[in-house]
Amino acid sequence: MVKKRYFLIGLLIVIIGSVIAITVFPSEEKRVRKQFNLLSEWVSKSPEENAFVMLQKMRDIGSLFDEHCELKTDYPSLSGSYTREEISTYAGSTRSHVSRLDLKFYDLQIVFPEKEVAKVTLTARLTGRSTAGEQMDEVRELECRLKKIEKKWLFSAIEAVEVLRK
Amino acid sequence: MTVNHKIRQFFFPSITLKFLIRVSLVALFAYLFFGHLCIPFSIQGISMEPTYHNGRVNFCWRLRYLFSEPKRHDVVAVRFAGSKVMLLKRVVALEGERIEFRDGKLFVDGREIEEPYVRYPCTWNLPPRQVEKDAIYVVGDNRNMPIENHHFGQTSRSRIIGGPLW
Repeated sequence: MVKKRYFLIGLLIVIIGSVIAITVFPSEEKRVRKQFNLLSEWVSKSPEENAFVMLQKMRDIGSLFDEHCELKTDYPSLSGSYTREEISTYAGSTRSHVSRLDLKFYDLQIVFPEKEVAKVTLTARLTGRSTAGEQMDEVRELECRLKKIEKKWLFSAIEAVEVLRK
Repeated sequence: MTVNHKIRQFFFPSITLKFLIRVSLVALFAYLFFGHLCIPFSIQGISMEPTYHNGRVNFCWRLRYLFSEPKRHDVVAVRFAGSKVMLLKRVVALEGERIEFRDGKLFVDGREIEEPYVRYPCTWNLPPRQVEKDAIYVVGDNRNMPIENHHFGQTSRSRIIGGPLW
């Protein structure tokens, strides 16, 4: 009976310890996933958002990117190498033209081809409404490359994958 | 056993080992069936109108092309990075065929194709192009919009993950 009690207490300690370890020391995959959650949160915009929050989010978006980030999209105006300040400015300018914006990521497949490099394939869906009242609904498959710089995973390349070719 | 007892037993069953095994099996079956074989989805957008209406619910049957290949006029689900977001489109041309649109009419290998499912007026013009190896050409049924606003084209056969159940 006593042995059984010790066993149960031991098991409970192991379970609690594992939960704490997973929470306090997340895996690299979780850290990468968190960057996408932050990007989604900061790009998204609610109609009630005030100017202060907008400026804060604009600055925060830039902090997720490497000093230079390569973008390759089907929009010629959004392809090439951009600094994090340019990305911040572009995001701010785009967000100012919409009253509501919602960015969601689905089906993230994360691999680590090299040390401190993560390659993520995912589906991104951007929905919203422009200030002129026009509805937006864009879906793209993206291939993202993140580098671990000073213990932070930063976006260093984002490429849109061509799913349908006219 | 009275009827009242039977009803109570149905809604509030005793938590026995047999009951837990039964619940686990049902949950596992539901997860495998609705998560991987027959995936429920909600149609968002008007590109397949009037065949499929915006907001309707359907299921993607993953085994549709397990032993066969997509044929012309089939409606298929095209995946992005995974199966959370899919495109619902109609197959209009197969590998090696030449496709073009002339004044809204579909031509495959120079021959006009009857499309009874296209109900809205269409004025598209698209120069001829060949469908590549291991690819199929998909278009939505609703072509009552400028050609550049409609998401269509050739896609790899491996992206076809099934078809709608109805």
